[in-house]
Parts: sequence; C-alpha cells; structure tokens
Amino acid sequence: MAGRPERAETTTYNRLAVLRTERGLSRQDLARALAVNYQTIGYLERGEYNPSLELALRIAEQFGLPVEAIFSRQPFVPMSEQLYADRARTEMTR
Amino acid sequence: MYTYNIPYGYLYTRTENHVMTGQVGPTRFNVDRLSQRSRRPIAAVTLLGLPAMYAWSSIWRSTSVPVIVWGPVSFLLIGLTIAGGFVLYRFVRHRAELARPDLDERQRQLRDHAYVASYGVLATVVVALVGTVAVIVMVFGHPIVLDGELVSAIGICIGTLIPLLPMAALAWVEPDPLSDDA
Repeated sequence: MAGRPERAETTTYNRLAVLRTERGLSRQDLARALAVNYQTIGYLERGEYNPSLELALRIAEQFGLPVEAIFSRQPFVPMSEQLYADRARTEMTR
Repeated sequence: MYTYNIPYGYLYTRTENHVMTGQVGPTRFNVDRLSQRSRRPIAAVTLLGLPAMYAWSSIWRSTSVPVIVWGPVSFLLIGLTIAGGFVLYRFVRHRAELARPDLDERQRQLRDHAYVASYGVLATVVVALVGTVAVIVMVFGHPIVLDGELVSAIGICIGTLIPLLPMAALAWVEPDPLSDDA
C-alpha cells in the first residue's frame, strides 16, 4: 500500500546578505536593481521568503554567480571557513 | 550592534566594522511600520465594530432606556470601524488591489494569501449565518421576520465590510516589517 508522500523540506539557505555587503550594496540598491521591494530583500536574506526560480536567476545574474553559489537547500559553510580550508588544502598539496 | 539617536532627525547605527547613517524611521510613529501584533486587533475591531453597533443598538432600541445612555457606545463602535478602516488603508495602501502591476512577487503572494483568507472568512460567516437561521427555523420552529431595518443593517454591513475584508486580511497576514538597517 502506498503511503502518503513525505512533505518536501522547503527551507532554502542563501548567501544574499554576505554578497550584498561584500559589494557594498544597500538593500535599497539591490532592490532597485532587481525591481523588487526592499523589504523583499530583507525577507530573502533572513530566509523568511523563498524566491521564485525567475527571481533567483535574476539575483544570480546580478551578482554574476551561478545560482547554486547563492542558494542552497543545505546550510552554507561560512565563507571565511571555506576560504581557510581551501588555503590549508592548497598548502598541504604543495 | 549599538543603536542610538542623534539630533537633527538622523539615526546612527554602529556595527562592528562600519558606520551607517539614515533618516529616522522606526523611532517615529509610522503606520507603515505597525507590527503584526498591533495590526491584528485593529483588523478585528474594524470588522466587528459595525455589526457590534447594530447588535448593541437593537438590544436597547426596544427598551425604554434613553438613547443618551446607550447612544455613545453605538457611536464608539461605529467609530472603531471608521478609524480602523483608515488605519488599515494607510497601512495597506494599494497593496490589496488586484490590478497592481508594480507589486513584486512576494507582495503578490501575500495579497493572494489575503484574498484566500478573506474568502475563507466570508464563506465561514455566510455558512454560520445560514446554518443558524436554518436551525432556528427548522429545529425550533421560530419564524424569522426580515424587516426593512434588519435588511438595511445587513446590507450596510456587507457593503462596508466586504471591501474592508482584503485589507484587514492583508494587515493580518503581513509579517512585521524589517528595520532598514537590520
């Protein structure tokens, strides 16, 4: 007997706040560039709103990154941690 | 993060590694920034004020109690709907309108959610009213007389509250606004 399908996990993690701050953009600037309300940027950053595929692609285009570099279904490793792990790996291979 | 006010209407926000300035928003009373906790009672009171006024008046009108005694409460109840309607309109503005191309996808999603909630509330009220009337007439055998006053009260309530319902629902479902510097 087929059971009920499991409810899909809907949490999406993103690096929007880090990328925006890195580029020195305010929420208003990013909102203007993406043609959305600035509050929407805030909700996206806090993970309280999941963007449509169209908006996610527009965000990726705006930052010049692949969409999977900005959005993930798994929590992101902090960029600093990732950077130093990569550096340590490079030094070990030398 | 430390936040403190400095003169000349500017809010100073100091974070660990940078300083930002911006015009004061959250420190002034601003309808646009009403919290969900404040909006929900306003929405409820707005929708209930007018029907409560009719219910309250109908209790006292058939008695010999002078209008001066119960009248002010009726004015207060109708005033709650009027004042609440203004506050809701100031908060929601045009975001509850169906034909707004300038809303983004999150705002459209919230608006659609508000409309679904409105229809849900409306359907529940209609079913409850029809059910109550059916029970009174069919189970208890009491006839219900729809006189002109009752019909006009129902008509005014429907005519006033149906346009307010999507606004109230949007004010109810919209999450707390985020501060500009968060």
